[in-house]
Amino acid sequence: MIMAYAWQDKLEKLDNFRWKIPQSYKPGMKVPGLIYASEKLLTGIINDKAPEQVANVAFLPGIVKYSLAMPDIHWGYGFSIGGVAATDPENGGVIAPGGIGYDICCGVRLVRSDLTLDELKPRLETLVNALFNNIPSGVGSSGDIKASAKEEEEIFLKGAAWAVKKGYGVKEDLDFTEDRGSIEGADPSGVSKRAYERGRDQSGTLGSGNHFLEIQVIDEIYDEEKADIFSLFKGQITMMIHSGSRGLGYQICDDYVKGMISCLDKYNINVPDRQLACAPLNSPEGKSYLGAMKCAANYAWLNRQCLMHLARNAFEKVFNKSWNSLGLKLVYDVAHNIAKMEKHKVDGKERLLCVHRKGATRAFPPGHPELPEAYKKTGQPVIIPGDMGTFSYVLAGTEGSMRETFGSTCHGAGRCLSRSGAVKVCAGRSIDKELFNKSGIIVRAKTRTTLAEEAPEAYKDVGEVVDVVHGAGLSKKVCRMRPLGVIKG
Amino acid sequence: MKPFELVDHTADVGIKAHGSTLTELFENAARGMFAVIAGEKYKAQGSKIEKKIEINENKDNLEEILVSWLSELLDIFNREKIYLDNFRILSLNNNGIKAETSGVNIDLYQSDLYTEIKAVTFHNLKIEEDVEGFSCTIIFDV
Repeated sequence: MIMAYAWQDKLEKLDNFRWKIPQSYKPGMKVPGLIYASEKLLTGIINDKAPEQVANVAFLPGIVKYSLAMPDIHWGYGFSIGGVAATDPENGGVIAPGGIGYDICCGVRLVRSDLTLDELKPRLETLVNALFNNIPSGVGSSGDIKASAKEEEEIFLKGAAWAVKKGYGVKEDLDFTEDRGSIEGADPSGVSKRAYERGRDQSGTLGSGNHFLEIQVIDEIYDEEKADIFSLFKGQITMMIHSGSRGLGYQICDDYVKGMISCLDKYNINVPDRQLACAPLNSPEGKSYLGAMKCAANYAWLNRQCLMHLARNAFEKVFNKSWNSLGLKLVYDVAHNIAKMEKHKVDGKERLLCVHRKGATRAFPPGHPELPEAYKKTGQPVIIPGDMGTFSYVLAGTEGSMRETFGSTCHGAGRCLSRSGAVKVCAGRSIDKELFNKSGIIVRAKTRTTLAEEAPEAYKDVGEVVDVVHGAGLSKKVCRMRPLGVIKG
Repeated sequence: MKPFELVDHTADVGIKAHGSTLTELFENAARGMFAVIAGEKYKAQGSKIEKKIEINENKDNLEEILVSWLSELLDIFNREKIYLDNFRILSLNNNGIKAETSGVNIDLYQSDLYTEIKAVTFHNLKIEEDVEGFSCTIIFDV
């Protein structure tokens, strides 16, 4: 509690959603920190060490405006999770692998359907079982979709487009994926042999921990017009997939964090935590990381594309209809652990910045050139997964996020209990039975411990998180989904 | 003195390793990491596979060698599917480590292992010395 009080004195309340960490908090901060939170969420945030990490990120050379934190912020390592930082290459700006995280391009995709709750209900359990059997999950899981070493390089360059070429989806899927599932500038020459090897047999696998595939029903619409354009309606069945770049991304991040510690001396960079190891964007080390990171990003988009393909197959088996006639179309796919070179206006001037989003989602406004034609009027769909017992949300990007947060918003509920803390709270309980008895949610997981670690109590109230970004104008609520069936790694 | 204890961290998992000598600290950190992977009570069954480890890095920093050591063991676990449970350090200094380790081949996918460690982090890493010896808190990304 002493620490909480200490923070209460340091934070400057700007309004009901914004809390500033003054640049004077710590010598070495190049910009102030800014935390988006409600009074209620802030209490949890200051009991965690996350604000200290927001202040530490403000040390990064070339950081622009603020070290930002979304309302789902929690203590990470180096960067907090829920952190956003933009750096300017023309002003000595750096890239920090820890500001993207180990699971490079971890993200979520939302798939719509023509099915309603009444149509799904009698087959829900069969479907959940079929999905669980069809999709490899768990620690170090490897999948049936395998690529040769030569193909792996092609995956690094082409991402989800490779999967579509192989028949794991259709071209239209790419139109509704951030960067069309294949970001330009991927350079496999910066990917280590170890990273190659770890990526080889893991495409089309869910992984473990907080990754999941969820069958949901839309139970609340907040913005009819936008929902209509996203082809979403009340009572509709949707599917959400949360996964990342698996072992490949972990290894690339690991290689470059280790390598960039020596860059701190070389480029005379002062950061308070070695996990913030970084290199100037214009340096050979910075460029090499960016090229390798993009390989992992493309791999992650390919992975989610393959997972969607496997899930569509499961639907086809259960309903004995093609996925197309079931209306299983991709609404959108967004990354929430990534760094992107993007144009943003700073003090009236357009600048090309490197936007680090670690546990934060891009939220581009209506009319942005990066958006698919169909969503030019609505703004980018932002997909926010909740925990397995509560709701998930679809939001839409706004001008507000472009003005304030380099086009970024929150990414999920955010943890409030440690994994071991959650296991303790859930000791002797059967989380899957509880979820079924209380809410009729069918859960399938590889291990009971994953269930306890991921229990609803371990997470913040996602509704509160979403209300903050909505209230602060960083993105606007479109609809809410309730979970029906969950596959956990 | 316990060889290691698990440490609470909101998003991830940590251990605090102890050792009366630096060598013991490094060995106990390795034990701690595998306890994070499979639980403290887990005993791997099967025929032993020996692995020799030699790391030479021009770091001049013991903490960075500690991360390299644990990362090397994690890599053997991830790529060669060997659960390591025996560690013997032959030599250790600020620029490298030489060790022998052994473990058991296990099929990760079929086993009930529950924590996938993505990486060993440098977050607030500091080897500390007191009257009892050495200790260090290590945070893993899981």
